[in-house]
Amino acid sequence: MSDQGPTGPARLDVRPVKQPIWRRLSLVWLVPVIALVASLYTAWLSYRDLGTLITISFENAAGVKAGETQVRYRDVTVGEVEDVEFTHGLNDVLVYVRIKKNIAPYLDDDAQFWVVRPDVSVRGITGLDTVLSGVYIQGNWDTQADVAQYDFVGLETPALTLASQRGVRVTLRAADGSALSAGAPVLHKGIQVGYLETPQLSANGSEVQVDAFIESPYDRRITTNTRFWDTSGFSVRFGTGGVSLDVNSLASLIEGGVAFDTIVSGGGPVRDGHIFSIFDEEEAARDSLFADPDAETLQMAVLFEQSVSGLAQGSEVRFQGIRIGEVSDLNAIVVGEGDSAEVRLQAVLSIEPSRLGMGADASPEAALALLSDFVARGLRARMVTGNILSGSLQVELVQVDDALPAIVTLTSGEYPVIPTTDSQISDVAATAEGLLSRVNDLPVEELLNGAIDMMDSIEALANDESTRAAPASLVALLDEARELVAGDDTQAIPGDLRTVIADLNAIITEAGEENIVGNLSSTITNTNEVAANIAAATEDLPAIIDQIEALTAKANALALDDLVNNASETLAAIDQLVSSEDAAALPGTLNGALDEMRGFLAEVREGGAIENVNAALAAANDAAQAIEQSVETLPALSTRASQLVAETRAVIDGYGERSRFNAETLQTLRDIQEAADAVSALARAIQRNPNSILTGR
Amino acid sequence: MQVFDLGSTGQVAGLITAREAGLVACQRCGQVHHAATSHCKRCEAPLQSRDTDSLQRVWAWLIAGMIAYIPANIYPMLLTSTVVERSESTIIGGVIELIEYGSVGIAIIVFVASVLIPVGKFVAIAYLAISIQRGSRRDPHARHKAYEVVEFIGRWSMIDVFVVAILAALVQLGTIATINPGIAAVSFALSVIFTMLSAQSFDPRMIWDKNRANG
Repeated sequence: MSDQGPTGPARLDVRPVKQPIWRRLSLVWLVPVIALVASLYTAWLSYRDLGTLITISFENAAGVKAGETQVRYRDVTVGEVEDVEFTHGLNDVLVYVRIKKNIAPYLDDDAQFWVVRPDVSVRGITGLDTVLSGVYIQGNWDTQADVAQYDFVGLETPALTLASQRGVRVTLRAADGSALSAGAPVLHKGIQVGYLETPQLSANGSEVQVDAFIESPYDRRITTNTRFWDTSGFSVRFGTGGVSLDVNSLASLIEGGVAFDTIVSGGGPVRDGHIFSIFDEEEAARDSLFADPDAETLQMAVLFEQSVSGLAQGSEVRFQGIRIGEVSDLNAIVVGEGDSAEVRLQAVLSIEPSRLGMGADASPEAALALLSDFVARGLRARMVTGNILSGSLQVELVQVDDALPAIVTLTSGEYPVIPTTDSQISDVAATAEGLLSRVNDLPVEELLNGAIDMMDSIEALANDESTRAAPASLVALLDEARELVAGDDTQAIPGDLRTVIADLNAIITEAGEENIVGNLSSTITNTNEVAANIAAATEDLPAIIDQIEALTAKANALALDDLVNNASETLAAIDQLVSSEDAAALPGTLNGALDEMRGFLAEVREGGAIENVNAALAAANDAAQAIEQSVETLPALSTRASQLVAETRAVIDGYGERSRFNAETLQTLRDIQEAADAVSALARAIQRNPNSILTGR
Repeated sequence: MQVFDLGSTGQVAGLITAREAGLVACQRCGQVHHAATSHCKRCEAPLQSRDTDSLQRVWAWLIAGMIAYIPANIYPMLLTSTVVERSESTIIGGVIELIEYGSVGIAIIVFVASVLIPVGKFVAIAYLAISIQRGSRRDPHARHKAYEVVEFIGRWSMIDVFVVAILAALVQLGTIATINPGIAAVSFALSVIFTMLSAQSFDPRMIWDKNRANG
């Protein structure tokens, strides 16, 4: 439209009025302004909530991640790790943490930080949640805002006591820290009421100190009279009281631990930092309750000449059986000078005056005076066996009535010396050795051989057929004997017996009067003479034999064969009878018969025959005496009989060896001999083993 | 059809603009009206030959978009919490993580959509606005092309926001795994919206005015 015609109206120069800038401003500008304000506000909020930056240095920051790992205080997140880097020299890991502003003032010099990781110990498993969620840093500080700090050194192990826990922290002293470990339980009547912190050497290195934290409300159980003792592991004591085994909780078995108890009342309350000693054993701790461990003790010495092996520091010192102290030292000293010098073994006794019954506040001097008085009256020290198995010894003060006069001397210089007397040491080893040697000397092998032989004999006997057969025969025989005894005839015997005994009595009396024995003797003499005559007569025998042969020829003609045959048969029958088992079993049967007889005699006694019997026995006694007298002549008689037999044999021999009669006779005699032997063997067998009759073996 | 050589200045002898012809075109429907007409006869949209407040609004939206873009990069885009861990990832952090995990392709997509395009838009819009204010005559065709690209591509920046929105809606498994949008997601969405508004506020007709005025 720029080339409009000149005829038109003059071009109007229309220009908008310059408006003030605020009128020309678009409302749209509100948007960036609002955005800016919002951004600034957000930024300011962020800054305000940014928190305080602190640094914690750890030796090991495993698992700590920038931007992820949280810092927690009593399980509430109070900050976050912002950065993790190394210190100069790469010694430690520096962790930068943003802590909430309102928390930061409490982070003063008592603040502790440690990394919580899963931990498996005997007390349980902790930090298991960190397996999934990753580690976090646990903070621990008290509720007092002090001078805030910004640089901290993290702990490598979790702090055991949280600042929020209430309780009392006491310091324990022990000579040996091997039983103490951080976290080990503190037990009271078997339940855990606290725990130990990290043990540390004391400044001079002479002992171990460890802080123990006892949780509220158990801390009220602790007074100045409380005693702590070591409960670590299990303790086996092999003392004079025998074997004693103490086992505490599993945790204390592995980690160690201490226990305490307050038995006597009256102790004052304790505050943090109170120092207690740890006793090695509960017994010692309890003992110390009744005697002040710091009380003065009387030191005395005993000089022993023999070995003190078995005596040790801590061995008991007993006075009439009551413990009054212990051996505090053992050493060797030289007594005397020059040639008379000799080495003695000195046991230093630490005697507690209060245990001598002198009251709690008795002084060592008073105790010494008392003991000196006792020594003058015969008190002596000696070693006695405390425990026969362990061979431990203890020192005993005993009253010796016939003691040589002695007094408490000061010869060894340092300590007053109590005189000694003979020690009573039962050496279990020596005794046991003697016992063993005796056992060793026992003739065990011979005994065994004898036993084996006996067994063999018994076996042989038992296996013998005749032994097995005996019972049956015996039973049969017994039956017969019983029948016999039960028979009316037998029952009638007592009456007859009485008359017989009376007759016998008379006969014996008569025999005694008429000197029958003497007659017998003369008779035998006569017989002897007859035999001699026969021998003499036999000298003429050849002639006679001729006659006899003639006679025999006649006899042969007289059917003598039949006679001899009959005799033979008879002999065979006799033989059969004698060799029969029944005959062999006779002795046993006789026993039974005798038993029956015994019963029978009892009946007889009841039957009133006893007086007669007594009389008869008296007569029999007389007769027996007479027989005894005559028996004295028996050897001669026997000799004569022997001669007679020999002569008879000679006579029989004279009949000719080939004589059938002769052979038969000899055979018979042999059979009789065998039968007698068999009876004899059976009798011996039964005598050796009477039971075999009953058991059949 | 006559073909004009627009040359580097875009000036063509004997060619007039609608404004010079006393005409105004509706920006919405394209209907041409007389210059005095205030509203479109067809769609009733307000008619303006030149939007005099255009640059103001461009700058305002642009600045707002840039402000919003700062927290979008500082604050975490995604809050991922699982049983094992809890992680927050910013845009750039996410890209770096993706590269570390070897997903270079996805990292490039995220980087282009979340960083390259928004920043490119800021630069492009600012350049266009400054060039108009200074009355630059340089290559109006190229500048017009740049404007069209900016307007077209701007909406694709929202791809990030959509991803976050979908993830946050899908992954809600209670304590096992949860994904929540962070502050950055909102900031980024706002930034994209502001930038799009900024681009829309721009009146591309002004690119040509300077050349005409001095021609």
